[in-house]
Amino acid sequence: MRMRFATRAFLWSFIPFAILLACSFWVIQQRVQHTVRSGLRSSLREAHISMARLRQESELQNSRFLRIVAENPPLKAGLQLLLVHAKSASARLTLEDQLREIADTLSFDFLMVSNSDGVPLAGIIRIDDQLVAMGMHRMKPPQQGFFTLGANTYQLNSFPIDINEENIGVLSIGERFDLSEFSTPTILTQDGEILRSSVPNASSAELESAVRGCGNQAECETNIAGEVYMTLAADTVNFGNGYTLRSLQSVDSISRPVQGVVREVFLIATLGALAAAAALSLFSSRSIVRPIAAVVSSLRQSEATGTLPSFQSTPASIHEIRELIESFTRAASAVQESREDLQRAYLEFIGSLAGALDARDDYTAGHSRRVSYYSCAIAEALNITGSELEVIRVGALLHDIGKIGVTDSVLRKPSRLTSEEMAEVQQHPSIGRRILEGVRGFQQYLPIVELHHENWDGTGYPLHLADVKVPLCARITHVADAYDAMTSARSYRSALSHEAAIRELKRCAGTQFDPEIVKALLRVDEVGKFARHARSTVPSPRLVFLPRATGEASQ
Amino acid sequence: MLTRAISVTLAILILGLSLRAREIEGTITIQRRLTKRKVTSTADLYQRGVAVELGSDKEQNPLAFERNHVAIYLEGHLPSEKISAELNQQDRRFSPDLVVIPAGSSVSFANLDPIFHNVFSLSKAKSFDLGNYPKGQTRIVAFPKPGIVVVDCHLHPNMSAIIVVTPNRWRTKADASGRFVLPDVPPGTYTIVAWHRAAGFFRKTVRVTEAAGASVDFTIPLDAEGVVEQARQ
Repeated sequence: MRMRFATRAFLWSFIPFAILLACSFWVIQQRVQHTVRSGLRSSLREAHISMARLRQESELQNSRFLRIVAENPPLKAGLQLLLVHAKSASARLTLEDQLREIADTLSFDFLMVSNSDGVPLAGIIRIDDQLVAMGMHRMKPPQQGFFTLGANTYQLNSFPIDINEENIGVLSIGERFDLSEFSTPTILTQDGEILRSSVPNASSAELESAVRGCGNQAECETNIAGEVYMTLAADTVNFGNGYTLRSLQSVDSISRPVQGVVREVFLIATLGALAAAAALSLFSSRSIVRPIAAVVSSLRQSEATGTLPSFQSTPASIHEIRELIESFTRAASAVQESREDLQRAYLEFIGSLAGALDARDDYTAGHSRRVSYYSCAIAEALNITGSELEVIRVGALLHDIGKIGVTDSVLRKPSRLTSEEMAEVQQHPSIGRRILEGVRGFQQYLPIVELHHENWDGTGYPLHLADVKVPLCARITHVADAYDAMTSARSYRSALSHEAAIRELKRCAGTQFDPEIVKALLRVDEVGKFARHARSTVPSPRLVFLPRATGEASQ
Repeated sequence: MLTRAISVTLAILILGLSLRAREIEGTITIQRRLTKRKVTSTADLYQRGVAVELGSDKEQNPLAFERNHVAIYLEGHLPSEKISAELNQQDRRFSPDLVVIPAGSSVSFANLDPIFHNVFSLSKAKSFDLGNYPKGQTRIVAFPKPGIVVVDCHLHPNMSAIIVVTPNRWRTKADASGRFVLPDVPPGTYTIVAWHRAAGFFRKTVRVTEAAGASVDFTIPLDAEGVVEQARQ
């Protein structure tokens, strides 16, 4: 996958950072929540214990008070009566009557008298606000603990009835057991079955299964309707008969607000830290990428312009970046140098090729160089500059390269040529084109090589093209070639003077030559370039084209 | 003491001489409201599950109740008589709760309730304990000495009755309006006594002639708590 360096740097710095942050925050949050939870749990336990202690104390107080009830002389007398008249219904009635009076005066819900062996003798119980005598042969309430009759559960306490230090019986006093006196949700179970519950929003079945999981543990955690509850057994009193009193506290509902706050705080902290991490990563990735991006952009610019990048303006404060720039600069200048060497070698080759061509015939010695010079002069007069001028310069040098394929006897024949010989000579533009066609980088010179003998009126060769169908560079070279040919001596004629040649050019302008180019030539002539630079005075092509290599050439 | 013995002898003489007896009549006035009556609701009410407010009986005027519970008798060795009085235990009460009898009389204590009762007294004049006995049983106690006998029930501390054993046969109870009459009093000078459970003894001297009886009014002052100011003195 292709990815920008900045993106890559950002992601590689941000993602591990973010993961690390998120993980550590999560761990810390879990830790804090755990601590909060266990703190809450221990405070719950303490509350439970202190409540149990309070309850124990109040039960102790209550038992002191109830003990006085057991010291009631008429009650003792009644018990004695019943002990004596064990079978007497009216004796039992008497005792029940007494119990009823005590219950009524002191608002007890259950009173029972047993003999010293624990056999219940008489008892009354409050059902639907009525005190009813209990048939002791049918009911077997315990002396202590809980007793359930119908929908009511009674909590019982027992106190000995003594006369003269001798125990004659037991008084059991009970009050209806009401869970509302407990400040915490509480359940009363008998053998795992729920008798009473003050736990909100929980069915008996749920509670039973939840408590069953606790077994005989005094303290345990259980799950009711998806909430974690902590349950503690009220172990202060031994109730017996399978009765268990448990307080239940929802740890969840107590810790929920605290946990909510903790979660919120950590969420905000995490988001803040992630934002900070993102900003930091962005900043660091940018600070890494910016100098590289600057280098890249200057490289891209140099690619577009073809010039060597200059890094002088780049603030390369980073050591590695500076080294990169320096090594790149070194490499680039090496490439540049080798390219210049190549160019130089190539031009030297062109120059020597042209020179070798001209050297075949004394009369044409220096011809190519001169045509190149004249062509450039005309082109400059026509405001041609840059690479186009360069094409004209090199193209003009090579314009007669096709003469390689023309035999020496034809070429150096001192007399007029026959029509066959003429036809052979006229082959040289096409031969030149063929030669250069296959050479890479020489395509731009082909129009000059092939078409520098086309006439303005279409009478030239080889393609007989007229006027502007012939490229400008070829037309310029055509004029320059004609001028040099006229001002040079041949074996069959002497050289024309400069003025005669100009006259001839003027005469043929519009027929053989492009009149505009002839005019340009005349403008150059007015400056004196043509006259001043007669044959031998034309500078060496090397000096003309590669002024920088002057020193090297002179060696 | 001597003068008193003389006067008593004199009175007997006069009584013996006189054939025409007159009556002593009078009125008891309770000045203030007295203590709450001790009321115990019946066992039946409890059995029926009716809530009973203790210590009040709307049907009875408390002052009338107190007037009705004043015993009036004459002091002195006068002829007595033996009677048989009844003091039943009914509806977890002694009924009546004030019995006035001459010395030497007997009282039968019958248990009419479905439950056991116990009758006992720790009084100086007569202490006894009849034990617990169920419905239908009756026990009889003789009271040879004059005095105030408080009768209680072991099983039911709210039950209480008073037996006033008088030295002679002239004794009565005031009615609800406070009126009382001691009939057939021979002419003479007597000490007439009014006794109230909380207020104690009030004595007055009366003179009965052949021509006319006597009229005595007692005023028994009680404060709000039922404490007798005079009795304290």
